[in-house]
Amino acid sequence: MRDPSLRRVARRLVPILPFALVIALLGVFMPRPARAFRDVGAFDPRALLAGGTTGPARASAPYRWSWELVQRTSAPARLKPTQVRADAPEVVEAPFLWWSGDAALTPLTPKEIAGLRRFFALGGVLLVDDAGVSDDGGPSAFGRTAREQIARVLPDTSPIPLGADHVLFKSYYLLRRAEGRVAGPRTLDAVIRGGQAQVIFSSHDLGGALARGATGAWEHPVVPGGDLQRERAIRLAVNIAMYVLCSNYKDDQVHAPFLMRRRAGALVP
Amino acid sequence: MEMTTRLAVNGDLPQWAAIVACVLVLVSLAVLVGHELRRRERGGFAIVATGVLALLALLFAVLRPVRIAARESVVGAKVVVLTDTSRSMALPQEGKTPRYNVATRALSELAKKSKDARLLVLGFGDGAPRPIVAADDENENEKKASAPIAPRSDLTTALRSLAASADEHPQAVVVVSDGRLDDPGEDASKESLAALGKELKVPIHTIATTRDGPPDASVRRVSAAGAAVAHVPLPLRVEVGCSGGLSCDELTVTARELREDGPPALLATGLSHLKDGKGTVDLSVTLERAGARIIEIAITPPSGDTIPENDRRLITFLVARERVRVLHVAGRPTNDVRALRRWLKSDASVDVVAFFILRTQGDEPNARPDDLSLIPFPVDELFTEHLPSFDAVVLQDFDAPPYHLDRHLPQLARYVRSGGGLIMVGGQNSFVAGGYAGTPLAEVLPVELDDSPGATGADVAPFTPVWTEDGRTAPLLAPLRDVVSEELPQMPGANVLGDVRPGGLVLWSHPTRTTKSGAPMPVLAIGDQGDGRSIALGIDGAWLLEFSQLGARTSGRGYGALWDGLLGWLMRDPRFEPGQLDLEGPCVADEPARLRVRVPDSAKDAPITIELRRLDRQDVDPIKVEVPKREPASATTEVVLPPLPAGGYTARLKLGPGPTTRRDFACEAGGDEWADSRPDPERLRMLAAATGGTFRWATDDLALPLPKPAVVSAERHVVPLAPPWTWTLAAAVLLGAHWFARRRSGLS
Repeated sequence: MRDPSLRRVARRLVPILPFALVIALLGVFMPRPARAFRDVGAFDPRALLAGGTTGPARASAPYRWSWELVQRTSAPARLKPTQVRADAPEVVEAPFLWWSGDAALTPLTPKEIAGLRRFFALGGVLLVDDAGVSDDGGPSAFGRTAREQIARVLPDTSPIPLGADHVLFKSYYLLRRAEGRVAGPRTLDAVIRGGQAQVIFSSHDLGGALARGATGAWEHPVVPGGDLQRERAIRLAVNIAMYVLCSNYKDDQVHAPFLMRRRAGALVP
Repeated sequence: MEMTTRLAVNGDLPQWAAIVACVLVLVSLAVLVGHELRRRERGGFAIVATGVLALLALLFAVLRPVRIAARESVVGAKVVVLTDTSRSMALPQEGKTPRYNVATRALSELAKKSKDARLLVLGFGDGAPRPIVAADDENENEKKASAPIAPRSDLTTALRSLAASADEHPQAVVVVSDGRLDDPGEDASKESLAALGKELKVPIHTIATTRDGPPDASVRRVSAAGAAVAHVPLPLRVEVGCSGGLSCDELTVTARELREDGPPALLATGLSHLKDGKGTVDLSVTLERAGARIIEIAITPPSGDTIPENDRRLITFLVARERVRVLHVAGRPTNDVRALRRWLKSDASVDVVAFFILRTQGDEPNARPDDLSLIPFPVDELFTEHLPSFDAVVLQDFDAPPYHLDRHLPQLARYVRSGGGLIMVGGQNSFVAGGYAGTPLAEVLPVELDDSPGATGADVAPFTPVWTEDGRTAPLLAPLRDVVSEELPQMPGANVLGDVRPGGLVLWSHPTRTTKSGAPMPVLAIGDQGDGRSIALGIDGAWLLEFSQLGARTSGRGYGALWDGLLGWLMRDPRFEPGQLDLEGPCVADEPARLRVRVPDSAKDAPITIELRRLDRQDVDPIKVEVPKREPASATTEVVLPPLPAGGYTARLKLGPGPTTRRDFACEAGGDEWADSRPDPERLRMLAAATGGTFRWATDDLALPLPKPAVVSAERHVVPLAPPWTWTLAAAVLLGAHWFARRRSGLS
């Protein structure tokens, strides 16, 4: 080691070598976490391919949804979300589906209807996100036809509005209304079965608010606009994921006094 | 028996007809003689003589006398003597000999004084009366059965049995007792006492053995308002008393629960003020665990108390469970947490208190706390104050250190050992990875955890759990097997678990991974931990029984079936027990008790043992009792336990190497029969008066007014003195002669 600069570096490293060794040993001997048993049990915003859709209307939104969930909560999520066809056997392999689009759907085939019925029979939750919603919140052809097709799958039920008192609006964040890329209506609609919102209809283009390109720029401006609206849309997406994973946990009696106090003093609209 | 001969009227003639005939003849004779004597005319003697002869002949023609030759004997009236064989008769008589000895002497005296009666001496206690064997009888077993060991003194049932019996009914009943009867009770009315005699239609004579009770303070009665339900306060009314000249104005009463894992736990205490020698105190106790639970109700006796056995009562409460209270703690929300949450909430009999960690220190929700619905995790409150109120705790994918649960792990381990249930469900934060290895909680898991530095927390290679032989036959997995048979979904990974602890059972194992001992690694294991139970489920993919191809084929029923069995077994649901134990009748101290054992066919060849352990004395070694092989056609086996000292016991039925089925019971020295040591001669006096009987003290002259003996013919020959026509002919001839004599005298 004749190079003086190398010797200098070596002299500087000698004092920290014991610390480095200890840290390395700790790393070796500490119990190793399980690494989530892969991410099979994690939240997966699976895109549903049915009625002629070939993919999610906002392609980058599922990843962003998972990313936000992992960053903001303890819930694990798949950073490589999957897609599944309604008539594929795999439709029953996870409890959540996300059906988004901006164009009119073709009628569901009998196989697709059967697949979705099996999914619902197991207690699965479907989010129908209208990506083509107009700026004033008017439903697109996708929104209208999706409701028609869901009515064919679950003919014995019809959607009802979910207001801010529903557990979905307090499953993680305390929210006063639903918002997405567009402000849209204050409520979500849902088909309730067995006490659970099994089909959630959003006329807010939630995926549009989540979609973010590779450069880090948001892909779609929010209407009427503002970072706060996008933030509230992300929070709604997080709440929906938490509702899927925790069901009506926040409706438990033990939470009631805390949430009532916070609701009384909350500034978030 | 000698042959005797006598004359009688013909048997076909009713007694009244014979009497009427005799009377008529006598009247006729009187008229005849009186009338002729007043006339004093010629031929009067002939008229009277022929008239008398004619009347006699007529009488004989009617009576047609017979000669009866018979062998006859005198049989005494059947008198049933009912002797009290309840345990109260074993109490000392005025501080000396037991009451039963006085009763025995009274029986001897009664036999001497009632030689004309046939005495049948029976003992009454619980149920139908049984023959009493004399003290000098050689048959030891029968002598034992006649000893005062009956747990009750039910005279009413004994009398009803006599009335219902097909045997010869008695003509009188004699009751020998101290009067402290369960039935008829202390408050029986005169009418109800009279009804006892009416059933048999005989008088009931009574002999009282005891005038005064010993100096004694006791717990006389413990009554509960309604059934015992876990977690629900149970009001108890405790009646205490002082008698026999013992002076006590107040008594302290305590209620304690006997527990296997430590000293008895004080549930309630109260002070009873006594008036006229008796008092009551109301206590409220809350039993947290379901099943048979032993509660000790005790008084602090005053000095001079001569019967310490009744200073405490051991009451077995069969505690029901209205709802199962489950504490569900999850380290992070996942599909597995979702599935368990939904299943727990779907069962109306389950009361869930859930806490999920939704945000960790590393998460950035980008919001003020007031914008979040998160509440603090009340770990201290939950695992200290409220812990005993839960029937089961589920730790799902939850790591202890970040939430300071580690400081409550000793408490949680004690909770399990004292009867609580624990399920640890796998995930990246469970078992070794959750920091539980080497902690007190690890000691109550059914599997060992590797606490060495660098221990592997999980194996993330996909695998399909393998059913072990024990898993295939375990009743708790029977519902799941009914749904999925042998098939299980592929799991994304497993927590690394060690060997199963002694007394534990592996139900699922890893197909390739092994433990340090070389055994297949447990994936699902169960085990007893003191008074409680625990389950280790080393996977976080059980939800795949619901959402998978297998789940779709079985309509997702497999998941509910699995948890139904796991939680049911934890709660000792009889459906999921490997066997069943029941106590046959009450257990009396120092007397053999009987346990009925029921084991499934699948375990009939397994070695079966019963371990008896004292609940109130941890220093006493357990007793092992071998269970005989059951008969092929029988589903149950009866096991006779050795005589046990008074105390609380837990019997554990062990089938092979796995967890046990337990049954708690109490053996009392005196029980109900010694609870009130005072005699009650007044009740016997009232019984005798109400049924037309006589009351006597055992020391009195026992010559009772018993029914007269009866005559019984063994052989009988009936021969007519003359054929009937001869009597008729004689009567006709003599009547003719009488008519002729009257005509000669000028009479018509």
